[in-house]
Amino acid sequence: MLDVEGLRKSYYGAMAVSDVSFRVESGEILGFLGPNGAGKTTTMRMITGFLPLTAGKVTLDGLDITERPIEAKRHLGYLPETLSLYPEMRVIEYVRFRAELCGVARRDLKSRVDEAVQKCFVDDVAMKPIANLSKGYKQRVGLAGALVHRPKVLVLDEPTVGLDPRQIVKIRDLIRELKKDHTILLSTHILPEVELVCDRVVIIDKGKIVATGTPDTLRTQMSQTPGLLVAVKGEISEADSVLRKLPGVTHAARIGAGGETRVVLEAERGVDLREAIFREVLTRGWTLLELTPRQASLEDVFVRLLSHEPDPVTDALPAAVEAEQEVSS
Amino acid sequence: MILRPFTAIVKREFFAYFYSPLAYVILTAFLLFNGLTFGGILQFLNQPDQPRTNLMAVFFGTGFFWFFMFIVPSVIAMRLIAEERKAGSIEALLTAPVDESVVVAGKFAGAWLFFVFLWLPTLLYPALLARHGSVDPGPIAASYVGVFLIGALFLALGTFASALAKNQIVAAILGFLFIITAFFIGVFNSLITDPKLRDAFAYLNLMEHMDDFSRGIVDTRRIVYVVTAVVFFLFLSSKALEANKGK
Repeated sequence: MLDVEGLRKSYYGAMAVSDVSFRVESGEILGFLGPNGAGKTTTMRMITGFLPLTAGKVTLDGLDITERPIEAKRHLGYLPETLSLYPEMRVIEYVRFRAELCGVARRDLKSRVDEAVQKCFVDDVAMKPIANLSKGYKQRVGLAGALVHRPKVLVLDEPTVGLDPRQIVKIRDLIRELKKDHTILLSTHILPEVELVCDRVVIIDKGKIVATGTPDTLRTQMSQTPGLLVAVKGEISEADSVLRKLPGVTHAARIGAGGETRVVLEAERGVDLREAIFREVLTRGWTLLELTPRQASLEDVFVRLLSHEPDPVTDALPAAVEAEQEVSS
Repeated sequence: MILRPFTAIVKREFFAYFYSPLAYVILTAFLLFNGLTFGGILQFLNQPDQPRTNLMAVFFGTGFFWFFMFIVPSVIAMRLIAEERKAGSIEALLTAPVDESVVVAGKFAGAWLFFVFLWLPTLLYPALLARHGSVDPGPIAASYVGVFLIGALFLALGTFASALAKNQIVAAILGFLFIITAFFIGVFNSLITDPKLRDAFAYLNLMEHMDDFSRGIVDTRRIVYVVTAVVFFLFLSSKALEANKGK
């Protein structure tokens, strides 16, 4: 449905986006994940024809965005990151304006506007001026305006940014609902959002794709090496070396301080260390404060893929970093 | 398929003026000064020693008239593109399935309709005159054709300025500069010594254009000049809009 091939954007020689390629299948929600400044918005602006491409190709339902922009854009609904509506217009006027702008036939105008307004739950404010609406409502009005011409593809740039938790939940429910009729590309820097909403994820950093996969695959690849966090009372400098000697332990690292000692342990697959750790702690006469299995979350994948500064936890998990490299390759 | 987006943009631009205080400031100042000018001319021409002249022809040739013709279009047009670019709404507008030229033409047409709207109350003046004497409707109709044409030219220059600037005030100043340049290029034709060149520039003399119109002469060459210039500057605006996308 949406094909992005070798997309590249350079500003005055500096590469903002380089060789970004992915495909969004019909009826799918693809999450476009990355930290701020990774090139998400630039990529989305190129996809929607707002920015010229330096190189590459974008096709929407087989139509090239640079060669046949008007026809391609007919299949496109776009919600920009910095959403700006016309504040003087009433909600219904704005949605009707968008419908006319996108060439909805006069006889369908009313029904399409009503449909979009209801779909995005803004029918209760339909007659209010946009200037008087809360941010959450504005976001949904923007969405209603973006889908009033029933585009096949919806491109949503950070649709939940700046909303309060209740509004976020509402927008997410709405996006899931929209999946029935639209193919969706959604950008975000919020991880739970991806896990909750998206079928597939593309992770981008510094203008390059660093990983692709479903939230589950990314997580599974990470949890190949189950970890354990052990915390004991007091500062015990030999804690890590003692625990490393336990059978099945592949790696141990001491982190943090301040009244307690925390050790991150890695074990071979299928080895349950918990009992051994308990006994060891007991024989040493230490006080066990915490024993937590470390379930790798998507957040870990993300942080590890993106952090380039030395991080104690990451550095303590070389096996995990290897797994991450598998993911990105 | 072009017409519907075009009319949608025209409508939105035209009505947007009525939601901004600026429109009412312009409207009030415009009517106040035009009323004063009209009253002044009337009083002056009523003196017994004054020759009989066409009042409306004098009205469309005063300094006030031209002053308004410079200021009003640059202020009306300043927001057209600059405002949307600054607010960011340009992104949603230009990712809709419409060509930049349609966007520019629609915006220009909306502004021009508002300009026409500003002049409507002045129709009261000839109506007033007609109550107390005979008025020849021909020259008056031609005068309005002239005002709306020259207004269109100045608005096209203002639109171009708005497409170049991100800041509305900058757009207004730039538009004003374009407009007075277009005006004085023709007016100062007598300073040119080469006779052929002087004739060419005389053709651009808008004061003469307006003078003709107010005497009831509707010359197609004048219309062609204005329409060509409008199309040319709208074309430039659409190219500027395209080039400044995403900036």
